[in-house]
Amino acid sequence: MIDIAEVSLWYDRAHKALDRVSETIRRGQTVVICGPSGSGKSSLLRCINGLEAFQEGTIRVDGVSVRDPRTDIHRLRAEIGMVFQHFELYPHMTVMQNITLAPMRVRKKARAEAEQKAMALLERVGIPEKAARYPEELSGGQKQRVAIARALAMEPKIMLFDEPTSALDPEMIKEVLDVMTGLAQEGMTMVVVTHEMGFARTVADRIVFMSEGRVVETGTGRDFFERPQHERTRQFLDRILL
Amino acid sequence: MDTGVIIRNFGFMMGGLGLTLQLAAITIVGGLILGILLALARLSSRFWLYWPATAYIHFFRGLPLILVIFWLYFLFPVITGKPVNAYVAAIVSFVVFEAAYFAEIVRAGIQSIPRGQTMAARASGLSARDTAMYVILPQALRNMVPALVTQAVVIFQDTSLGYVIGLREFLRRVNLVDAREARSVELYLFAGLVYFAICSAGSLASQRLEKGRQRMHPA
Repeated sequence: MIDIAEVSLWYDRAHKALDRVSETIRRGQTVVICGPSGSGKSSLLRCINGLEAFQEGTIRVDGVSVRDPRTDIHRLRAEIGMVFQHFELYPHMTVMQNITLAPMRVRKKARAEAEQKAMALLERVGIPEKAARYPEELSGGQKQRVAIARALAMEPKIMLFDEPTSALDPEMIKEVLDVMTGLAQEGMTMVVVTHEMGFARTVADRIVFMSEGRVVETGTGRDFFERPQHERTRQFLDRILL
Repeated sequence: MDTGVIIRNFGFMMGGLGLTLQLAAITIVGGLILGILLALARLSSRFWLYWPATAYIHFFRGLPLILVIFWLYFLFPVITGKPVNAYVAAIVSFVVFEAAYFAEIVRAGIQSIPRGQTMAARASGLSARDTAMYVILPQALRNMVPALVTQAVVIFQDTSLGYVIGLREFLRRVNLVDAREARSVELYLFAGLVYFAICSAGSLASQRLEKGRQRMHPA
């Protein structure tokens, strides 16, 4: 479903963010990417939907090359939902407007249809009563659930999560992870950058460990935690698992 | 002090205020629209949009408005061989000139919006145009309100320059009355009061707006 082949990304001549990264993510899989900050995890995520213009290598999503100039990048992005660390809800719009904007503008859906879908998604993430509220009236956990609903409103084939719980207070992390776990169980293809090792262990089909722009090691949940192959991975796990 | 001269000519002078307000309104609307386009071009990564817009803004910010008016009114006919109507010349000069100032206000407003907002919008498949229209500009314009009102007040005052090419706006009419009645002190004090009152009302309205906004959306 997502084919990443030999991708390299430079921010400038001196700073190489990704160094020949290759990875294949199959339909219905949940892949967790972890690693120390600055290791290129978020950059890699942004390469998948073309928000980051990598200079070398190819990424194919459902066979469509992201960096090919003939690719309709807007159409491709419509198929890929993205959730951000800092939510990035539109503060001047209500929760409802946040969710219906892209379906109406990109998918050209009628307002009534888009709103009906939005309400169903708000039910699903457990906050239908917040539809008419503005983002600033919500808690962090509620904001992130709205952000997930907003991404799902486009009926994407793939969901990308960029540290979705890193900006949350501890008591709100679970409500967001629960929604994500539900999605994974329903067979959504997901790529998740996170430090939530509990989520990685129980939900992820595969864990990718990155450091300094390279993939150091990948493995299934159990292998990764119990038999890490590389010294860098062991150090990282020691620090993060206490 | 002879306030009678003001009362006697009140209707005539205030009649010019209509033209003044009209000039200001057209300039503000036209200048803002052109300014938004210039700001978007200036923020574009495409050099053929970026460079002309940047050059335009630097050019007009480096000139006095009165020179732009003179150019359009006196120089343009020399080149084209056709006379320019004073009203048209004034409007075009004002819009073209003030757009450069609006552009910089709009640019600062757009740059005040976090990059994540653009990223979220683009990630959902929105085009660059829709991202600007629905996500960035509404937020940016809201942040710009105080600066925009200040600029609107400046424009209102700047319209008095229309007088140099014979437009009978407010100040020109005061000037005409003075030529007839020779009561400069009273008349120009009166003119000052009128400008001051209208500009103060504008500033006050902007402060009210700002407070109301903070109540609704505490940042």
